[in-house]
Amino acid sequence: MKKRVLTVLLAGLITTQAYAADSIKIAITGPFSGGSAPMGASMRDGAKIAIAEINAAGGIKVGAKMMKFEVLERDDEAKNERGALIAQELASMSDLAGVIGTVNTGVCLAGDKHYQEKGITKIITPAAGSASMTQWSKAKVKDLSIFRLAAHDGIQAAMVVEEAINRKFTKVAMLYDSTNYGVSGRDDMVEQVKKQGNKLQVVTSDKFNIGDKDMTAQLLRAKNAGAQAVLIWGIGPELAAVANGMAKIGLKAPLIGGWTLSMSNFIDNSGKNGNGTLMPQTFIEEPITPKAKAFIAAYHKAYNVKRIPSPVSAAQGYDAVFIFAAAVKQAQSTDTKKIKLALEDLKEPVQGVITTWKKPFTAWNPANEETHEAFRREQVVMGMVQDGHVIFGNDADRKRLISNATSVKGKK
Amino acid sequence: MDHAVIQLIVSGALMGLVYALVAYGFQLTYATSKSINFGQGELVMLSAFVSLTLTNTGLPYYLMIPGGLLFGVIAGLFVERAGVRLALEQKSEGWILMTIILGLFGISAAENIWGRDDRPFPTPIPTEPIQFFGVSITPLEISVAVGVVLIMVVIELFKRKTLLGKAFEAVSADRDAAELMGISATRTIMLSYGLSGLVAALAGILVSPITTVGPTMASALVLKAFSVAVVAGLESGFGVVIVGLFLGSLESLTSFYVGSGWREAPGLVLLILALAIRPTGIFGKAVIRKV
Repeated sequence: MKKRVLTVLLAGLITTQAYAADSIKIAITGPFSGGSAPMGASMRDGAKIAIAEINAAGGIKVGAKMMKFEVLERDDEAKNERGALIAQELASMSDLAGVIGTVNTGVCLAGDKHYQEKGITKIITPAAGSASMTQWSKAKVKDLSIFRLAAHDGIQAAMVVEEAINRKFTKVAMLYDSTNYGVSGRDDMVEQVKKQGNKLQVVTSDKFNIGDKDMTAQLLRAKNAGAQAVLIWGIGPELAAVANGMAKIGLKAPLIGGWTLSMSNFIDNSGKNGNGTLMPQTFIEEPITPKAKAFIAAYHKAYNVKRIPSPVSAAQGYDAVFIFAAAVKQAQSTDTKKIKLALEDLKEPVQGVITTWKKPFTAWNPANEETHEAFRREQVVMGMVQDGHVIFGNDADRKRLISNATSVKGKK
Repeated sequence: MDHAVIQLIVSGALMGLVYALVAYGFQLTYATSKSINFGQGELVMLSAFVSLTLTNTGLPYYLMIPGGLLFGVIAGLFVERAGVRLALEQKSEGWILMTIILGLFGISAAENIWGRDDRPFPTPIPTEPIQFFGVSITPLEISVAVGVVLIMVVIELFKRKTLLGKAFEAVSADRDAAELMGISATRTIMLSYGLSGLVAALAGILVSPITTVGPTMASALVLKAFSVAVVAGLESGFGVVIVGLFLGSLESLTSFYVGSGWREAPGLVLLILALAIRPTGIFGKAVIRKV
């Protein structure tokens, strides 16, 4: 009996070892429970669809072997201290190929230094706060193993201001929450107003606190000052309180702001008062390209939902995996440092659901964070809330994406 | 401009009435037992979640209300039995920590059962604003105001007109004398905690459609309510309404004229002034200590 147990154990050991050597070990981290869970879980689920597709096709050919992805999931609960612990744990693994994830900028700030120390390749998605990348340029690090696949706040603020100008508004009110995220978003928007030629007059600039429900005072100030649009930076529930407050006092002006306006807790809590709200998006849950159609259908089927909780996060998680896989293939290795070098110089374009990525990253230059940022202005579109869904805000964006997809096909 | 001022006062006063209702819950238990449920905000939140769950099972709104209120009463009684009774019997201040702990426990329970998301609370009461002389107000807001005033009037009438209510008043006035007259102080305190739970549940049901339901929905609310209770004095039910209305409007006006960053300031100034000048509260009775 004893002998048998031992053999079974030994056999188990051998198989797991063999398995570990034949697989690409990748970690997915993010908040899978709690307030940021719609983003974290969608990102994870999108990434897992990509991994399932790759594994189903037999994996990636590294050397003579076909290697499959092996996933480690870690829930950081959107807490900075949890995130730091997870980063420490993952960074201590010698055979980890890389990390994908993180929703909260604070968690990036708390944890990413551990990856950087050990040179572990990480693709941040969908955390958008500028600080998660600028922390490295400010510290002037020479070599960086952290990349990002998310439309950072700089792009978003530029788009918000641009949208207000395009819609021929001249007077806008600014509203922002009193957290770091809200205040830095306000600063980005103010800077963009100047940059884009001072065409907008900011008639009021007011803040609100997390948990505030009565926004009458701030909104009345905006209304009395003749604001034609409200530019806003905040998070779900308070944004909904603003939308509901605007309907109450009869301030008929669109809300334009950061991508958090696409969070389900904004859309659900504002109901029809949220209609017409505009925000930058990297992916719209509309099957306009064959790739998008297949992805949306796969997501709905795999997780039995009719609406992806956060389509942006899901699509970015999906594309991050394909970009990572392309780097593994090019590096012909599961060594995280070699993957990093490959990521900085991807030879072949990567077909993603958001776009076809051509050289998303280049070698890190501390004077320019964009070297490790995948997104440029042209990959981001304006989304609009309509009856519980986010649709294209401008038809031009929609047509552009369709034609991009067909032109890529044509080249093939 | 005039309209703006009235609009601000109306919107602020409405939030003020909600502060008053939560403060009234403090006041009910303080009157009989000189103890306060520091987890009152969590009772509001838990009752809101239970009511939301009842609504989601398909129960119509008007049947859900008694269910939610019943839960509030039971939760209030539970707090009294688990956290307050023993401490009071031993004349210790243990109830302070116990009620805080029960409140924290309530938050954890809610996070585990319902998750940490803020959810909308469906209501059949229309949310389309109607205009009164240029001031917009929604029927939902009117329902909150009516509900708050109604429940307080009913409880005050109950205290003044019924035998049980008179026992309540007697224990409030002098616990020992009331016991000598054959009134059970323990039962009266139970009653006060039950009523306080009822008030919390009603607050939860009334404000949820406006504030949404989430585990931390009441944490900001309860601090304001505490200021209201202290400024008004823990003796007066009428006082909390006046102070609540005043504080709510003041917040809204400050936020408009001084700046949104100063919104919380008047409440704090008021609290400091009250504690420095009239520690028993504006409507509180002066304490006479017999030596």
